[in-house]
Amino acid sequence: MKNKIIISVFSCLVLLQIATPLSMIIKREIVLKDGVSFRFKTQPIDPYDAFRGRYVALRVEASRIQRPLSFETEYGKQVYAQIAVDKDGFAKISGVTVRKPDKGSYLPARVLYSSAKDTTLDLSIDRYYMEEKSAPRAEHLYRKYSAQNKKEAYIEVKIKDGFVVIEGLYIGDKKIEDLVNSEKQVIK
Amino acid sequence: MNKKLIESLYHELPDLVKNGVLTQEAADSLKRHYAEVKITSKKWFMFMLCGLVGTILIGLGIILIFAHNWDQLSRLTRTVLSLAPLVIGQGFAFWVLVKRQESSIFKECAATFLTLIVGSSLALVCQTYNIPGDTASFTFAWMMLILPLVYLMQASIPAVVYCIGITIWAGQFWNEPLHSVFFWPLVVLIIPHFIWSLRQEKYSLRAAILSFVMMVCVYVGTQITLGNGLPLTWFVIEPCLMVIFYLVGSYKFKRISTNWQLPLLRIGALGIFAHAFIFTFLSSWSSIRLWKPYSEADVFGLAALPGNIISLVIVSVSILMLYDFVKRRQLMPALFGSLSLLAVVVYFMTMAGTPNMLAVFIFNIYLFALSIIRIIFGARSNRLDVVNTGMLMLAILILARFFDSDINFILKGVVFIAVGLGFLLANIMMLKQARSQR
Repeated sequence: MKNKIIISVFSCLVLLQIATPLSMIIKREIVLKDGVSFRFKTQPIDPYDAFRGRYVALRVEASRIQRPLSFETEYGKQVYAQIAVDKDGFAKISGVTVRKPDKGSYLPARVLYSSAKDTTLDLSIDRYYMEEKSAPRAEHLYRKYSAQNKKEAYIEVKIKDGFVVIEGLYIGDKKIEDLVNSEKQVIK
Repeated sequence: MNKKLIESLYHELPDLVKNGVLTQEAADSLKRHYAEVKITSKKWFMFMLCGLVGTILIGLGIILIFAHNWDQLSRLTRTVLSLAPLVIGQGFAFWVLVKRQESSIFKECAATFLTLIVGSSLALVCQTYNIPGDTASFTFAWMMLILPLVYLMQASIPAVVYCIGITIWAGQFWNEPLHSVFFWPLVVLIIPHFIWSLRQEKYSLRAAILSFVMMVCVYVGTQITLGNGLPLTWFVIEPCLMVIFYLVGSYKFKRISTNWQLPLLRIGALGIFAHAFIFTFLSSWSSIRLWKPYSEADVFGLAALPGNIISLVIVSVSILMLYDFVKRRQLMPALFGSLSLLAVVVYFMTMAGTPNMLAVFIFNIYLFALSIIRIIFGARSNRLDVVNTGMLMLAILILARFFDSDINFILKGVVFIAVGLGFLLANIMMLKQARSQR
């Protein structure tokens, strides 16, 4: 009897253990399929995570906005950033609200820093995972290209109902993985 | 009596009976008196150790291979890769539950493997979809998914991972008291397993490892979650916590003292000495009124209320345990445990405005008395280890005061001479007493 209970509870746990990563996957696949595309200008820097591997940390330019806002912006405050496209085709924050916007693309964010002039938000777009040797090369390439040709780095994301999924990291018009691979071939 | 001594006594019994030193009845009544000692076979221990180390290495290896992040793999392949090892781990655990229910080695290994694989599959999903580096929710999801394994498979390594995980989770909210205080209900969830493992005498090493990890995690968790960064944490709550560890370790739950008691006892005693020793420095107390809380949140407001209640519980439990030991006239545990009461009284006295020097003086006297009594206690009971630790405590205290720049030379000199004279006088009196007894 006791064994039966253990096995049935274990079966529920098995389902839960599979459902958790699966629900994470499905949610993101839906956003990638139906979400609106945006390009955020960014700076990639290469750090390391023992569990999830090496990634390039992203410093999204649009996350800093001019003050004053119409409400207090203390550290950690939960807000909503409305996302629009600027004249160059890159994403920008067109407004910040405390309540969830009814229409348009938006992202939930937290206030990181606030000064008299501007406020920086945490938009939860902070890492792009790459193969362990590619991540440091990506940072190197970004530095090289941004110094020589003024080529800009940006990430392409899909946003749906306040949920964001990163599609790719680009320097100029090339995907970072392709750029790293072509660089490898030149070296060979 | 020590478990090993009883084991060797049991080993000798047949010979003693055979040679007529003891009657069979006397041997039986000895066994009844000390109860049965489960002798752990070395083979069993090696199986457990090899099985566990192997499982942990394979699990970590899988995590590392996934962490390489293969560029060439499509999202679909990665999805399959993140779920396949999970299903294999679950299948193995299921097989163990059905076919090897009685084997603690199999249960521990299967649960440990599944624990690591759940983490690795979550990590791979995070990697594939570039999920933001939110360590708190990643760790929380992982820990919640492995906690039932601890109970379903009676496995302690997942419990160890869980303890470390919830501490890391709490660390993410160090400046949000209302959030981080949930560390304590999460600790409570693992306590039934902890008590269960303490009762399994056969697994004394396992219980010792779990005790050790729990102590470290609860100590770190206290620093993160209670007192809001005020001196209260350091001066009151932590000494009281150490006293609880020490006094729990001093209880003799069964007639046989087992290994598991040692980590609680040793680390508790070390913690008590370390705190009391740091309180003997003037610099520890000098800035006590200038400390600022971590966050802007009101220290005594609603946000801090749950943390304050838990702190109060810790302090009360330590003082009640101290009272219990005083009532039972167990001098050494009671003396070590009295740090909790002393810390509470001296902290509030100092906050109320008594000079910092008074606090320093009280703790110097306390440590001095503690080490002297320990030396005397050890000498009387012929226990060299107790004498030596007492001497070490005294030597550290004397050295620290000799080099202490906060106290002026004349005062230090006078105190050193007075204490030295005291020692000589005590020595002369003891010699006289010994002579008159002869």
